Amino acid sequence: MVKNITVNLTVNEKNYELEVAPDERLLDTLREQLRLTGVKEGCSVGECGACTVLLDGKAVHSCMILTAQVDGSEVMTVEGLEKDGELDPLQQSFIDHQAVQCGFCTPGMLMSAKSLLNENPDPDREDIKTAIEGNLCRCTGYEQIIEAVEAVTPNKEEKGAD
Amino acid sequence: MLEYEFLQAKKIDETLNYLDKYNKVKLIAGGTDLLVEMHKDDIDNDKVDYLLDISNITEMKGIKEKEDKIEIGALVTHSELVKSELINKNSAVLAQGAVTIGSTQIRNRGTVGGNVVNASPAADLLSPLIALKAEVVLKSVNGTRSLSLPEFITGPYSTDLNKNEILTKVILPKYSDKYYSIFKKIKRRKAVDIARLNMAIVSKVNKENKFEDIRIVPGSATPSPQAFSEIEKELEGANINDINYDNLEEKIGEEMVSITGERWSTPYKKPAIGSLLKKSLTGIIKEVKANG
Repeated sequence: MVKNITVNLTVNEKNYELEVAPDERLLDTLREQLRLTGVKEGCSVGECGACTVLLDGKAVHSCMILTAQVDGSEVMTVEGLEKDGELDPLQQSFIDHQAVQCGFCTPGMLMSAKSLLNENPDPDREDIKTAIEGNLCRCTGYEQIIEAVEAVTPNKEEKGAD
Repeated sequence: MLEYEFLQAKKIDETLNYLDKYNKVKLIAGGTDLLVEMHKDDIDNDKVDYLLDISNITEMKGIKEKEDKIEIGALVTHSELVKSELINKNSAVLAQGAVTIGSTQIRNRGTVGGNVVNASPAADLLSPLIALKAEVVLKSVNGTRSLSLPEFITGPYSTDLNKNEILTKVILPKYSDKYYSIFKKIKRRKAVDIARLNMAIVSKVNKENKFEDIRIVPGSATPSPQAFSEIEKELEGANINDINYDNLEEKIGEEMVSITGERWSTPYKKPAIGSLLKKSLTGIIKEVKANG
């Protein structure tokens, strides 16, 4: 007999009390219970990064965490980036730099980049590459994505010059 | 489909009681190995009735400096190792190993305890920890015991952990600034790949510029990472300005084959382990010279 677990989560600044199955992944809860379908399921084994969300501010794979483990935590998905109808500067930059093609990797890329900027508002190119090393993109070749992230850092002009 | 009851412990004692009273309990912390196995249906359902979450046990988090040692809680993540000033200062080889694991997302979740207990032949923390002469602390309702890594790791994916025991922390000796350390790894691509080969070296370099107390531990070269004592003897007392790399590269390859026998991967790994040794030694020597 499988017993469900009650979990309190803050997702995109809203509080939820949820009943979750013992084998329910954070990915499943976000997509199926909260209908936050910006969180994508790609490989399901922590290699593609499409399911990346912020857990207490840090980028994690939501496919590799059981929701029951993270009772009391704060989660942010791509849906939480937009504030009062305004896109996050990072989202706008992805559009401006054509860092989106098919779009499947984009939510995960955005969350990995957001996690980096939370920790280090002025990353260099290598920091950006490290931050997105766990996110696969099969369309863009990464260059536009890196440029989009660079463009929202404070010294963007300087960096754009080299 | 794996079916189990989910249990959660917030204290070490609570965990030990569960392990004592319940049978067929599987532990989960960072989940970066376990969730993959669950997804691939690699876990025998007959062996698991309970999944016990230990990821929220505060007592097992954090890196603490004691008088003559450093204690690393089993739940310390790879990211925390990478960022720790204490680890970078005392035992850089461990931070260098941790930064090569998986991706940012995996390093944010995967734990030291999990990497050690899983005991993969390619685990990137095992060779540094063996080279650093780390000990693991194991607890059960019956008490506490400490083991060296070579005592704890009994084979590929196999350890001396009893079924009522939990690994609570890893203890490192403190090293003076006369000690140098380095970690090098070969993999197919830079990110999200397991090691084809890795190597951890820890050594003192004395006033006469000679290696002293040198430890050389390759990973993914033998069934479990282990110190290569022949090559250590070869380098003990050697002057950093007078190293015959060709000879050493040959010898470490031979030592590996003496342990594993000729395998399908030997034609690749034999020269590769030699060049990894050269890279690691030149890295250490460069650092010694930079320090004057």
